[in-house]
Parts: sequence; C-alpha cells; structure tokens
Amino acid sequence: MSDAEPIVRVVGVHKYFTRGAERVDVLQDLTVDVADGEFLALMGPSGSGKTTLLNLIAGLDTPSAGEVWVGSELISQMSETGLARWRTRSVGFIFQFYHLLPVLSAYENIELPLLLLPLSAADRKKQVMTALELVGLTDRMSHRPGQLSGGQQQRVGIARAIVTDPTLIVADEPTGDLDAKSADEILKLLDELQRGLQKTIIMVTHDPHAAERAQRTLHLEKGNLVEQTARKLERA
Amino acid sequence: MRHWLSGLCMLLALSSVARGEINIGDKGGITYSVSSSKTPQVVDDENEIVITADAKRLEIKFKAGRLVYDGKDCGTIKTGDRVAIEPDGKITVNDESRPVTGLVAAWRFFVKHWREFLYGSLAAALALMVLLSLIGKVPVSYNVRNLFVRWKTTVMTALAFTLVVALMTVMMAFVNGMYTLTESSGQLGNVMILSSGSNDEGFSNLAFDDVGNVEKMEGIQPYGNDKRLASKEVFVMGNQTIPVGPGQKPKRRFVQIRGIEDPVVAALVHALSLKPGGQWFSEAGVEEVSGDKASTQNLIQAVIGNGLAAEMGSDRAGGKPLTVGDTFPLADRTWKIAGVLDSSGSTFDSEIWVKRQIAGEQFGKPASYTSIVVRAAGEKEAIKLADKVKASKETALNALTEKQYYSNMAETSKQFLYAIVVVAMVMAAGGVFGVMNTMFAAISQRSKDIGVLRIMGYQRRQILISFLLESLVLALIGGLVGCAAGMLADGWTARSIISGGGGAKFVVLRLVVSKEILAAGLLLSLFMGMLGGFFPAISAMRLRALESLR
Amino acid sequence: MLSLLGTLAKFAVIIVKNVRRNLLRTTFTSLGTMTLVLVVTLVWSVLSFIDDQTSEKANDLKVLITEKNKSPSRLPYAYVSSLKEGAARAPDDVRPVDYMTWVFYGGMLDPTKPSRENFIFLIGGEPEKIPTMMEELDQLGPADRARLDRAVQRMKEQRNACVIGPEQLKTMNKKVGERIKVSGLIFKGIDLEFEIIDTFPDAAKRYAQTSVMNIEYLLAALEEYKVTNKKPHPEGDAPVAFVVLRVKNRAELERLTAQIGDSPLYTAPAVRCESQGSAISSFLEAYKDIFWGMRWLLGPAVLFTLSLVIANAISISVRERRMEIALLKVLGFRPGHVMGLVLGEALLIGTLSGVFSAGGAYLLINKLAGGIPFPIAWFQRFFIPDQALWWGLAVGAGTAFVGCIFPALSARSVRVADVFSKIA
Repeated sequence: MSDAEPIVRVVGVHKYFTRGAERVDVLQDLTVDVADGEFLALMGPSGSGKTTLLNLIAGLDTPSAGEVWVGSELISQMSETGLARWRTRSVGFIFQFYHLLPVLSAYENIELPLLLLPLSAADRKKQVMTALELVGLTDRMSHRPGQLSGGQQQRVGIARAIVTDPTLIVADEPTGDLDAKSADEILKLLDELQRGLQKTIIMVTHDPHAAERAQRTLHLEKGNLVEQTARKLERA
Repeated sequence: MRHWLSGLCMLLALSSVARGEINIGDKGGITYSVSSSKTPQVVDDENEIVITADAKRLEIKFKAGRLVYDGKDCGTIKTGDRVAIEPDGKITVNDESRPVTGLVAAWRFFVKHWREFLYGSLAAALALMVLLSLIGKVPVSYNVRNLFVRWKTTVMTALAFTLVVALMTVMMAFVNGMYTLTESSGQLGNVMILSSGSNDEGFSNLAFDDVGNVEKMEGIQPYGNDKRLASKEVFVMGNQTIPVGPGQKPKRRFVQIRGIEDPVVAALVHALSLKPGGQWFSEAGVEEVSGDKASTQNLIQAVIGNGLAAEMGSDRAGGKPLTVGDTFPLADRTWKIAGVLDSSGSTFDSEIWVKRQIAGEQFGKPASYTSIVVRAAGEKEAIKLADKVKASKETALNALTEKQYYSNMAETSKQFLYAIVVVAMVMAAGGVFGVMNTMFAAISQRSKDIGVLRIMGYQRRQILISFLLESLVLALIGGLVGCAAGMLADGWTARSIISGGGGAKFVVLRLVVSKEILAAGLLLSLFMGMLGGFFPAISAMRLRALESLR
Repeated sequence: MLSLLGTLAKFAVIIVKNVRRNLLRTTFTSLGTMTLVLVVTLVWSVLSFIDDQTSEKANDLKVLITEKNKSPSRLPYAYVSSLKEGAARAPDDVRPVDYMTWVFYGGMLDPTKPSRENFIFLIGGEPEKIPTMMEELDQLGPADRARLDRAVQRMKEQRNACVIGPEQLKTMNKKVGERIKVSGLIFKGIDLEFEIIDTFPDAAKRYAQTSVMNIEYLLAALEEYKVTNKKPHPEGDAPVAFVVLRVKNRAELERLTAQIGDSPLYTAPAVRCESQGSAISSFLEAYKDIFWGMRWLLGPAVLFTLSLVIANAISISVRERRMEIALLKVLGFRPGHVMGLVLGEALLIGTLSGVFSAGGAYLLINKLAGGIPFPIAWFQRFFIPDQALWWGLAVGAGTAFVGCIFPALSARSVRVADVFSKIA
C-alpha cells in the first residue's frame, strides 16, 4: 500500500446481475483503495469480477450496494448524465480492441474527448499535439486507424485517454490484442505515464508479464479479493 | 402563378370547415367551399363574382356582393366575412356567437400565407440543420466520412430522395405550366362577351342580330379614328385528317380555328404579334394558287400559332415546324400560312386564325360569332364594363373579364395538382422506409462507435443529434440533386387540355420550374430525411455504452 | 428427386428464418415495397384502361361514323337509315352486324340554379341497342342483364322513360320512380319530362354517372318544336352526335369505310368512318404527353426507387451476415446456394408485398373508394383491373430480383479466409 492519500475508494461494494429469475453475484462486499499516482493491476480468471470492478471505478456502471469515491466525489450516487460529465473530465479509457472511430484520423480520434470540454480550438490542438508527442505518433497523426499497426492504434488509444489530463486512467486488457514486442512498448508507455506524469492507472489484465509493471496487483476470484502483491516502487 | 398552391391548402382546409358554413376569404383568387344541400347564390354587385359548383360543394370566388340563399336576400357580403347556414336554413353573417375554431382559423391563416409558410419551413429545416451541427459535439465530418465509407448505401438512399424530388418537381412544373398558361392568356383590360347562359366561347352563339351595338358601348378603348378595340370572333373546332402512308392507320387531330374580322384589331386586343417574316391575311382571306389559274379553289390564308406550327410540322418528313408559305390540308381545303403568331405561353399558341367569314362557312357558323373580346382601359374598368354588358336591357349577353375566363380554365390544373400531391406523398412514404433501413443499418454497424463515444462522456442527445444530422445531410444531398434534375424539365413543352366552366382548350404548355417548386421539393426531401432519421436516431440514443462494445 | 425437394424445403426454411431475423428491416422494406407498388398499380390502371380503349381490335370491332371536318360532330338523323346498313347498295356489300345512334341531351332540373346537382346529361339511342352496343353492358351477369332488358323494354314502350346511374341519382337527390323535368341546354327550348324507371346495376361500374334515354323522345320533341314554332330548331337539322356500327373484322371495316366514303349520300356534311379505337385515340391525342409522362417517367422512376429500396435492404443484410455466409461456405454451401438464399429472401419479401399491395388496392379502391378519381378526358374514374394482382406479383418479384442481384453476387463471392481474418 502506498503512503499517498487514496484517490479511489471502493467501500463495501456489492454488485449483482439478474439473469432471468437467477441472481448472479459478481462482486461481494469489496473494499479497495487506490492511491493517487498508483499503477494498479487487476487480475483473475474470467468471471472473477475484475472488469466489473473497473467499470464501477470508471463510472460506467453503478454498484448494487456500497460506495465508490473518486477524489472527493461519490460517483456511485451520480445520475447517468452526471456520470457522463464526470467521465469526460476525470477518466481516460484504454481498450483491448482500441475502439478508435475508423473514419476519423489519429489526430481527430484523440481530439474527440476534448470536444466536450470548453476549450478553444488552439488549446485543443496544443493538447492533442502534446498527447501525440507523448505516445510518439506525431508523424502518423493524419492516418486513419486502418492504416496503423495494432501497437500504433493502441498508442493512439492511450493518447486519447490522456489528452484530457484525467485523474484516472483505466485500461482493460490493453495488451491483449498485441504481439509481445508491441505489448512491451505499450506497457513501457504506461509505466512512463505513471512515473512521468504521476497518473493513477488501473489496468485489468490476464498477462502476468503485464501485471509485473504495476506497483500492486489485486487478484480477484468469484467477486472476492483473494490476494495482493505489492512491489517496490523502484525498479531496475 | 397566383394562388395556385392555395388550391391545395383549400383541399386540406375543407376537412376542417364545418358543414353549412361559407367562409369568404382573401382577395378574389382564393376560394372557400361549402357543403350544403341548398345552393347559396351570390348576386354580384360591383366586383367579379363567379360561382362554380360541382356535385358535392359549392365554390365561390369573389370580392364582394349580395348573398341570396334559398330565395332570401341576406345582404351584402365582402372579403373576410363569415357566412353560416344554420341547421334551420337561416343565414347569419359575421355572427360572433359562432367563433372560428382554432383549427379553422389556423388553416385560413395557412391558406393565406402559404408562400411564407413554404419558405419559412424550408428556412426552419435548414436552420435546424445548422443548429444541430452547432450544438452537436460529435464532429459533422464523422457523419460525412461515414457516408463516404458506405458510399454504395449512401448513393442508393440519396438516389431515392433524388428520384422522388425530381419527379415531384417535373409534375409540379407541369401544373405550374398550366397555371402560367391560363394566367398569361388573358389581358388585364379585356372583357369577353358571350351569349347569355354560356361561360365558354365553345358553347357561345351570338347571332349577328343579337350583338347589336355592343361594340359601340362606352368604355371600350378607341383605335384609330373610328375604330374600337373590339374583336368579333368565331371560335370553332375542326378535325384535320393527318396524311399517313399507304396501309397505315388513318389519323386525325383536333384543331382550334378562330375566325376574326380585323386581324390588326384582334392582334392589339390579344396583345399578340406575328413572328418576323409573316403578315396578316388579306381582306378576302384567300389567295389564288400561284401559277395555276385554272384551279377552282383558292388557298385559305391563315395565321398559325407557334406551337401548332411545330406540331403540324411533325407530320412531314424531317419534322421542321411549318412556316410562312407552307400549306396544310384542313376541311377538304388547302390552307396557306401567311404568318406565324408569336404566341408561346398562351392558349393562342395552338390556334389557327383566319378570316371570320371563312371559318364560319367552313365550320357551320356562317351567321354568328362565338365571342366579342373588347379592351377596356384597365382591370377595374373591365369589371365595370362586363357588368354593364350583362345588365344591358337591349341584349341578352354574358360577359366576364378575360382574366376570369382563363382562371376558370385552371380547373384541370387543380385536379392534376391533387393527383400529384397524392402520388408524391405515397412515393415519399416509400422513400422514408428506405431511409429508415439505411439509418438503422448505419447504427447497428456503428454501435461500437456509439459505445466509445458514450464511454468518453458524450451525452445521449449528442448521439441523437449526430445521427439525425447524418440523415438530414443525406436528404439534403439527394434533394439538391433531385431539384437539379427536376430543373432540366424547365422549358419542356407538353400538350394538354385545360378546362373548366364547361369549356376546354387544346394547348401546348411549357413546364415552368419555379422557386416555390424547388423549395417544396427540398422541403419534402428534408422532411423525408427527418422522418426517416428520427426513429433510428432514437434507437441509437438508447444504445447502452457497455453492451454496444461487447 | 425427393432429396432435392428436401433440400429446397430446408432452403425455404432458412430463407423464412432470415426474413424473420431483422423484423424491423423486413417490415420497412415490405412497407416501402407496398407503397411503391401501390403507385405503380394506380398509374398502370389508368394506362391499361387507356390502352385498352385505344387499341385496335382485330375482330368484332366497333366503327364510329362522325362528321368529317367539324367538332363536336353533328349529323342529320336522315343519315341513320342508310348508315345502319353501312351504306350498302350492292347485294354483296358489307352490312354491319349491329348499330346504335347516339344523341346527347343535357339540361338543368332547375334552370335558375346552375349547379352540378342540377345538371343532367343523357345519352339517347335506340333502347334495344343499349345492352349490346354500349361498352361492357354485354358482360353483365344474368340477373343484372334481365333487369337491364326489362328497363329497355319499358323505354321502348314508354318514350319518356330513362335510366340514370346510381351516383348521378344521388347527386340530383332523386329516386327511381320519380319524375324530372329538364330544361334543355344543348337543345335550347327543348324541355323534356322524364320518368326515372331504373338505375344501372352496381356491376356496371362505369355507368355510375351515366344516364340513357330513348332517342325517339328527343326526335319527337324536335318535330313538335318545328310544328309549333313554324321553323326547325336550330340544332334540329343535325341532332345526331355519331352512329356506331359493329363489323366482324378489319377487312370488313376497310370495305365499310370505302362504301361510306364513296356513297353520294353523305356530302353535306361529309362523314368520317373510323374504328372506335382510333377515334378514341384521336380524342386522347391531347393527353398523349401526360400519358407519356406517366408511362415513361413516373412508372419507371417508381420502379427504380423500389429496386433501390430493396437493393439497399438486401445489401445491408448481406454485409451484416458476411461471417455467417463464410461459415455456410465452410460447411459446404456452394456459391450458388448462397446466392439462392439471398435471392430467395428478396423475392419472398418483394413478391408477398407486391401481391398484398396490389390486392389491397384492388379491394380498397374498387370496392370501397369507388375507383380512382382522376378525371381526364371524359373518364371520371379508373378502376384497378383484375390483372393488377399479377402486376403486384411481377413488380414485386421483378424489382426484388433487380434489386438483389448485386448484393447476391457479392454474397456469392464472400471468401472464407477474408472473413475469418477480419475477426474483431
């Protein structure tokens, strides 16, 4: 556990779905804190609830019971509209399959979340260019996703996640669709973001190699926290 | 093109007018209707009043006059008055205890201001598009590029818009051409004098004795030293046997012949002139066959309408329009063209003008006119003059302004207009279903895009705006192309018949694509786009972010 | 053979299931098809009736004798006695099989109130010729025919009897059995009183606004006028509009035309002899451009729009199902099979919607609406012909076929490998 103040606090969260008459409990009385600037990995087998937990923290879903705090905001109580607004300002998303809009260029994809913020065109351009530089794709900014490799697409995805300077970056299997080399580059990039920009990153992964990059790994099984492994902040 | 689209509005308004109520609206041209078993009559006072009736309803066009219903004089009514037939048959004028219901009032307002409504709606639709693109956060380029990506679907859908709009434009241009024709055939100051009881020159029969001194009446404009602008005419219909090759089916056509006493006066009265190179027929109206003194029959000298010259020309090899010096057979005689009327755009375009005596003798009206057309100083004077002629004790004549005569002829146009509106609406409905398919497919194809946008924080309404805008852009493109295609029809000529008030005329009309028609076409297209895009856009808006990403 | 049937049945099952998969799309496509087939049906109903009226029949054709040079045509009644024999002089000259003389008598019930409700227009002729020489009346059922025959018999016995179409009766607000007094408009001063003895049967749809009278009644009145006024009525010298003759075939028509043309009996005025079809087409010549527009602009544009709607729907379905199509190919479906599935789906939707729309139009317009109100020339209404069901089928199937041919080809060429490499 980091010493820093927790930025995310999941308190006694319960989540279930109903499938027909049957009730399926996905998360049971879960409590997790994530420190500001921490790089957290969530691991566990399919159906363990790790993605559900991520969705709750990212404000994509609301818990059946319990509270989710991000910073000073109780997001588990927000309306759908409120959540949408909050996400725009506070969360950056990175997906396994990148989910870039195929008809838009790399630049335009990255610009998308900024269009929701009250920014001038010049400010937007500045921010997009900064994000592009960070992920090292300035030379590919006018390419469409179809013209980019998987690794490059994911870097566009990351740039899009950080362009609004969010409090939190959530990544769902960010390397799941990539070959080992590209995956390594992406993980390195995430590492740099966390260390250089002090971003809080929460990442769901299957890949133990990917989890190694994180400072702390939570293992979930059937909706319960079963294990925590923490590594030293300093790495070789 | 006066108030012709108001006819359409009237049709719609009818459904909301209470039975037994006559609503007298607007200036002359606009007509309101009444359903009643008894027929009210409007006795004219000073202005143009025409009553036309069909089986189910009575239509009154007028400015002011006395209303007589069921034999009782109900006093003078004027434009804007409201007349009601009570269940007991009593007539009330402007009875405030019978308020105009909201719907009726709204319709009346709509009928009066249709042009403003048309442009207003189009402006509103375009403004909505601009507004949507301004408040929409999803960049419009996203929609436009998607239209390009699935270009086959885009082309197919836009083509459907294009076809519907183009067809509507062409059909409307035809009706507009009819209206333009009837509008431009009558001269403002002209009065048509017919035999009593007939409203059309085709049925009018003015024996020479009946005419009396009508052409000497005060109010007819003088011409030269002793003449007046009064054209005494006999209008007859002939059958022309069209020469065909051996073994071919015999063919004929109807031709309209106007016999006139004095071509110079007639030309002035009808404001027509000859095309260069032509001249009016001689005093005798005939000429000898040149170089053949032995020929027993002279050639009949004729002046022919431009349109008819072209049509008759199509009979001969090469199909070039007939021109000065050419001859044509008609009624077992040979007719020689002395001049061609510069008449396009009027009903005279399809007529043959000859000496009155010749037309009368050839077509069985040797001792009568069908009409006398006289010129008054202006529109008001013409109305007065027509009233005076009708009121004359000396002669039993009917008279109406030429404007009125021709606007009665617009009856056919109204029927066509209704038919076209029905066809256009049904076609548009078919098109809307096509658009819906396209947009629903676009949405299911891009559900992942929608999911990502929603996750990033785009609100539901932003998604709605984006997809609605896409459908509207598609409609705008299709509609614009449709308007452009429809504009090609401007100036096409088509044969038709115009009729009304019992008479009918064969005419060659010119299709006129007006600004109003283009606006209506574009509006229809945007309306289709709006309707076809709205429900799919709603369904897009309702997509759940996480589910659509799975 | 059996296995082929079995395969076809299985295909049919798959096709029906595919049609039901995206019900929304199927509904829109079929609604779109129905509305557009409706337009085509309406347009073609008008055109086919016009074509039928103007077509030249080879046998048993009617010949119209009219005034040669003038319109409206007016012939002396004296012409009739020789014209009904086809102006035959020699024993081997052609004689018509049947004839009818037509006069038109129109007038007002109340001359002080000129309105449509007050106006009646009657066709006068020899009563016994009405059932055989007036269009479509020879096709009435036995009961209706017997009723018409009774009316004819009565018109023969009672000169002032008339038969008025049901709609015309309603317009005038009169009933069978009532008497009406008409002030002549076409024949001014000839006022006639009629007894309405019957109306036309409902099966004679085209006669809803038509009325008939005995020609003798008018002729007698004209004669009376002459006696009373000591001079003939101005229109009395030539009251006949035309004479209709019936001949066996075209050869007879040509001989008849020559006989009448050569006859010295018809000089003032001269007469024109032509088949009814060609007479009607001359009358309709003025509407030719309108019919042309309906036939070659409106019709094809609607058909094309319909193909577009179907093409669009089917190509969307094919694109969505590329994976499935690839899977079917993996399972051994050949390209032809895949094409068959797509074609089958389009044809099913198109054909059913087409038949349904045309059938619905047939029922609604003919039975309920009383025809298409499109007054052009002297036709007031048009009816959907029986063959419209076939149009619906053909238009639905045809446009579906045209519309789905490209999507079907694209489905046929789906490559298994391409699809699986594009997962995600």
